[in-house]
Amino acid sequence: MNSVWAVAVNTIKQALRIKIAAVFIILLAVLLPVMGFSMVGDGTLKGKLQTFVSYGLSLTSLLLCLLTIVVSVYSLANDIQQRQIYTVITKPIRRFQLLCGKLLGVILLSAALLVLFSAVIYGITVFIPTFSDAPEAEHVQAKNEFFTARAGLMPAEVDVTQEVLDTYNKLEKSGQFEELFRGLSRKQIIAQLTSRKKLEKRAAAVGRDLVWEFNNVRPMDPNQAMFIRFKYDVSVNPPDLQVYGRWAAGDIRQVRYGVKFETPIYDFARRDLIRTFHEIEVPADCVAKDGYLSVGFLNVPLNNTVVIFPLEDGLEVLYKADTFTANFIRAVLLIFLRLIFLAVLGTLASTFLSFPVAILLCLVIFSTANFSGFVIESFDFLSKDLSKVYSYTIRPVIQLLPQFDKANPTKFLVAGRLLGWSLLAKVAALMICIKAVLLSLLAVLIFSHREIAKITV
Amino acid sequence: MEYAIETLSLTKVFSDWWGRDKVCAVSDLSLGIRYNEVFGLLGPNGSGKTTTLKMLLGLLYPTKGKAIVLGGDSTDPKINARIGFLPEESYLYRYLTARETLDFYGRLFSLPGKVRKMRIETLLDMVGLKAVANRPVGTFSKGMARRIGLAQALINDPDLLILDEPTSGLDPIGTRQIKDLIIELARRGKTVLLCSHLLADVEDVCDRIAILYGGQIQSEGRVKELLEQTGKRQITTGAISDAAVERIKQIVEDEQQDCVVTAPMDKLETFFIRAVMTAEQQAQPTSGAVGATQLGGFLTSEMPVESILDKLVSTSVSQHAPRTEPAATEQIRAIETSETKPDEELLSKLTTPANPAEPEPVVKAGPVELSPETSGQQEQTARSILDQLTGRSTPQDHNEKPTDQSEGDFGNE
Repeated sequence: MNSVWAVAVNTIKQALRIKIAAVFIILLAVLLPVMGFSMVGDGTLKGKLQTFVSYGLSLTSLLLCLLTIVVSVYSLANDIQQRQIYTVITKPIRRFQLLCGKLLGVILLSAALLVLFSAVIYGITVFIPTFSDAPEAEHVQAKNEFFTARAGLMPAEVDVTQEVLDTYNKLEKSGQFEELFRGLSRKQIIAQLTSRKKLEKRAAAVGRDLVWEFNNVRPMDPNQAMFIRFKYDVSVNPPDLQVYGRWAAGDIRQVRYGVKFETPIYDFARRDLIRTFHEIEVPADCVAKDGYLSVGFLNVPLNNTVVIFPLEDGLEVLYKADTFTANFIRAVLLIFLRLIFLAVLGTLASTFLSFPVAILLCLVIFSTANFSGFVIESFDFLSKDLSKVYSYTIRPVIQLLPQFDKANPTKFLVAGRLLGWSLLAKVAALMICIKAVLLSLLAVLIFSHREIAKITV
Repeated sequence: MEYAIETLSLTKVFSDWWGRDKVCAVSDLSLGIRYNEVFGLLGPNGSGKTTTLKMLLGLLYPTKGKAIVLGGDSTDPKINARIGFLPEESYLYRYLTARETLDFYGRLFSLPGKVRKMRIETLLDMVGLKAVANRPVGTFSKGMARRIGLAQALINDPDLLILDEPTSGLDPIGTRQIKDLIIELARRGKTVLLCSHLLADVEDVCDRIAILYGGQIQSEGRVKELLEQTGKRQITTGAISDAAVERIKQIVEDEQQDCVVTAPMDKLETFFIRAVMTAEQQAQPTSGAVGATQLGGFLTSEMPVESILDKLVSTSVSQHAPRTEPAATEQIRAIETSETKPDEELLSKLTTPANPAEPEPVVKAGPVELSPETSGQQEQTARSILDQLTGRSTPQDHNEKPTDQSEGDFGNE
């Protein structure tokens, strides 16, 4: 353990003294405060905060990822190339211990820098409102929509399989297929019918209402506000592009069963622009004790059009589930998981590749990881025709890639969304416990069996 | 166990990317190096010396055959904790200072903090780099880096020392020091394997040598047996009169042999060392290594308890720090070339308690926990070794030595 620690300390000293780390540290130390004061965003206080946190954290994450790659690759590859390893590996230290030491050093260094710079970002973010002369309303908006960690609940999807089948059979009997779906297969017809049916469930005809029910709503504090976030779509554009609506939020079961009201039911009459997001602020005490909440919408006859709530983001209930600080810490931890993965990757690459090649490999993997969704999709698409070969060869390799874009920490902070421990744990389990461990085992395997010395005759 | 290092038809073939054999660097090498032996591996460039060492240390894997080091596999931490290795060039971390470098290697051996610190100071003293101990080794000259490399190889008080071209890049004083060190270590029971193509170095220190060519042993044996000219005799005397020379010539001619009489020449090495020592005595400034030649006192197996030893020696060494020793080289050479066994003499002298010739009372402050008898004796031993090596012996010591009359001593007193 003593020797592992010695190697770790040496790795940190190396990164600091040959000034690899200095470049990154100076860049961040200069850029972050400058960004804090120069960023404007959309002009509001919230916009300014969002822009700063988003850019600041992304920049920190990017630079520290690069630093981690460079240091982890350099440390071992350089030792092998410059042959310092001759005198190290002939001492009583096992090869896997040397790798552990290097890895530990890199991780500690990145962790320290990450803590330092996220503290700077956090500090600036918290102090921006203090120095801002924005009107009171903007401060409230920033407090409600930015300095928070809101959980979002989407309405449960309605199962429409049976209805679709019924419709399909009906249409088949009446012989309308030729007319409606010319040349389509059964599968395609079913798919079309399904999406149509689903949309139907999210549409309110003129004078009709829609009720969504949510379970497990757990606001931190009933005295706080919660939000109904929605977006209208319409079948016919109203002349002023506005839709009138009556909204209600509360425990509808009290009305249905005619019991005594224990929690209030709030209602709102609104007029909102179509195809943009709006939020209705509702006091959180309307949620029933068992976490039940229903939200109702009435399409006022005045509208004269069918109102549709788009499937993916048409309606959502948001409530404050945690503090901004806790959310920020989890976002930083998410970045830390990336750094650990990259440190392992860099160490692995340097066990069998020279410095430039290893760096290149790591950078390729890093950028792929940032667009992993796109990469996986395009591979899936391109290799449709050789599916068997593909799914047993390239696919597992691609699946081994980390997927940084899937859990992007700034996305949560900018939207003031809750980044839950469960997500963090999931990422940690997949990226560290499975992928990084696999890579490090591979690294130990390669490094323990390779010849350290160069061929010199 | 007879051998410290044993190789059984060790073979290394380097193949190219396609797996075709390209170069046979070492071929069917079977060596046996006994404990407490200084063994020299000689050969021209590219003869497989370094490759052999790398296989011994597990840096390269043999294509065929086996290497047994200290009775086991050298990649086993238990075994390589007892090995000191100096590679053919000093591959050091350029950004670490000399002291940090030694500290790093000390930590790899999991040496406890106190022992580590003492050894580091002792070694820095020994290699003469104490004054520049806080400078990054990247700023060192090749010779200075070499000295740190050597200190690094000694930090674990190794039983087996493997040195690859130990004197390359060193100035004559450094070379002399390393040679003295090797002899002294061997005297203290260590095994040394060194490889070199500087024949003078090898000749001075090695008990046995093997000459490699093309990865195969061409010749192997004891240095003295290989080099002795049995058909000749050499007599070295003081400045005797011409008449005496004539008489000797007469005697030789009576035996029907030729006789050549010349004044012996100083070796250039001896002359150089004397010149530098004089400059040092006048305290002329230098930014380089200084010629401190004290041996790292912990490098011994004669004493039972390491920590006591470390304490003892670090005290005595640090108190002896700045001094010069012009006579050192002569003395050591006398030891290694003389026919009589000075080692035994020295040992017997060392084990005799209370030698009146010892001048340093300061050392007595050193050991704390030792009983008076043992401490006296150990002190004596440690000090005498140091004195012996650093040439601080008093005139009485000189007179006691039969080596003064030996052929190797050209007597510059």
